[in-house]
Amino acid sequence: MRMRWWRSGWKVAAPLAIGFSAALVLWVGQPELEVYLHTSVALLVAEAGLLGATGVLLVLVYRRRLAAATAASATAAAAAERAEHRRFLRRLDHELKNPLTAIRVGLANLVAGAPGGDPTVDGNRPTGTGTAAVGESVRAIDEQILRLSRLVADLRKLAEIGDGPLAGTAVDVGALLREAAAAAEDLPGGNEREIAVSVPQVPWPLPTVSGDRDLLELALRNLVANAVKYSGPGASVELRGFEENGLVVVEVADSGIGVPADEIPYVWDELVRGRAARSLPGSGLGLALTRTIVALHAGGYELRSRPGAGTVVRLRLPVRRS
Amino acid sequence: MGEATPPRPVLLLADDETAITDQLAPLLERAGFQVLVAHDGAAALRVVETDQPDLVVLDVLMPGIDGREVLRRLRGQGWWNPVLLLTQVGESMERAMALEEGADDYLNKPFDPHELVARLRAVLRRSRRGLPPLASAQQLRSGPLRLDRMSRRAWLGDRELTVTPKASLLLDYLMTHPDELLSRERLLEALWGWDFPASTRAVDNRVAELRRALNDDAVRPRWIETVSGQGYRFVADVVRGS
Repeated sequence: MRMRWWRSGWKVAAPLAIGFSAALVLWVGQPELEVYLHTSVALLVAEAGLLGATGVLLVLVYRRRLAAATAASATAAAAAERAEHRRFLRRLDHELKNPLTAIRVGLANLVAGAPGGDPTVDGNRPTGTGTAAVGESVRAIDEQILRLSRLVADLRKLAEIGDGPLAGTAVDVGALLREAAAAAEDLPGGNEREIAVSVPQVPWPLPTVSGDRDLLELALRNLVANAVKYSGPGASVELRGFEENGLVVVEVADSGIGVPADEIPYVWDELVRGRAARSLPGSGLGLALTRTIVALHAGGYELRSRPGAGTVVRLRLPVRRS
Repeated sequence: MGEATPPRPVLLLADDETAITDQLAPLLERAGFQVLVAHDGAAALRVVETDQPDLVVLDVLMPGIDGREVLRRLRGQGWWNPVLLLTQVGESMERAMALEEGADDYLNKPFDPHELVARLRAVLRRSRRGLPPLASAQQLRSGPLRLDRMSRRAWLGDRELTVTPKASLLLDYLMTHPDELLSRERLLEALWGWDFPASTRAVDNRVAELRRALNDDAVRPRWIETVSGQGYRFVADVVRGS
């Protein structure tokens, strides 16, 4: 902004220079030339008012431009940061996958080398052939390698989804909500929650959104799975869909354990797990995935929560233009 | 693999990472393959030339000539033995490329070694020695069903099927892996590029879409069979189109 002041300086300097040089010529050539102006005080006051209004208007325009420029540069910076973040995830994946592959294969060799191990049996898993303790250790290592492999794969996929491209088919969010509710019954503890879906049918059904059905389904399933996971038996889970200002709004609400206020700003980041969530299984990638999918669909996301009362996650997706 | 009466299939393993080849070669040997190792693309091409392996496992990221280019050159020379690419085919473009280059299968790192052995046996079973694999065909046919793989268009008799891009990709994968049990997780990984636990229903939805388009009966299927609790299998015969 400071540089631009310099560059447009001549626009101010030019009229000043023209005015002063004309004045100099007149003062030297026609020093006796004078103009007397008669005007009513009322008109003068009106002109002063007009001048004031113009001044205020100019300041307003300038401020608005400044705000727009700041916002644009902030958006660009955020986009650049996310792109850099995705590149980092990809590098991380690339550097981890070869060692992980070698460890996985090496462990399989170790098991096969133990008496009784047979690598040609598909799905052969450590059987505790040496001593029970060794078998137990091998099994534990195998499990942890698997966990790491899955984490690396999930991080990579997160980066890939963020890159698009997006299939622009019409997606019925109401149907996705009803399917997600039905599928939630099969989750651990799912049949002990009161799950309700409300999607308007009259006077017209919920409009469709444009995007990738599989990804949106994944985003919603993650939210519903969280609602079930972070609540207890008898808790209520409500899935709501409605239209508001050209947006399809989706809410997944629960009467669960809630999220402490100081954790709310970070819940959407990768690998963030709340203090209360540590004891529960999970990758810490569910909400990050949901955020990435929603952002890909040019949508918004928001989480409100009160510890002990529950949580509501709200997604806003642009209505598909037909 | 039983007693060593049938000759052991010769397998070329090409990966620049010695930590992987050192571990993988003995494992594949024990699984019944005779293993040759190459650490870059040029060496891989030389080994194919001199030893004529029965199948090749190619890592994509190698210095010099990468795995993709090795595959292109082999296919360009009319060398049709099975090739399994080790690559992340998550990106849809990469997946499409892998299909078009005529890889018989592909697997993401880090993979389960037993999964690798299972797939190697499957591609070997499918391969028709010296003949181009289904994976390199432009068109595939199964009875009245016809698939043009480049344009991703399919016909049932004279009627063109209208299916989503994902469903046509799935049909392509099923038809190039006939008579093979494909788990939902594997289809997700191969075709969607992700396998988050909540998402296997995505596969079911696309199979249902294909069945609707094909008028296929899930109970008595002509093409796509549901293997209860395990996955799907393309049960009809598939041949290369003209």
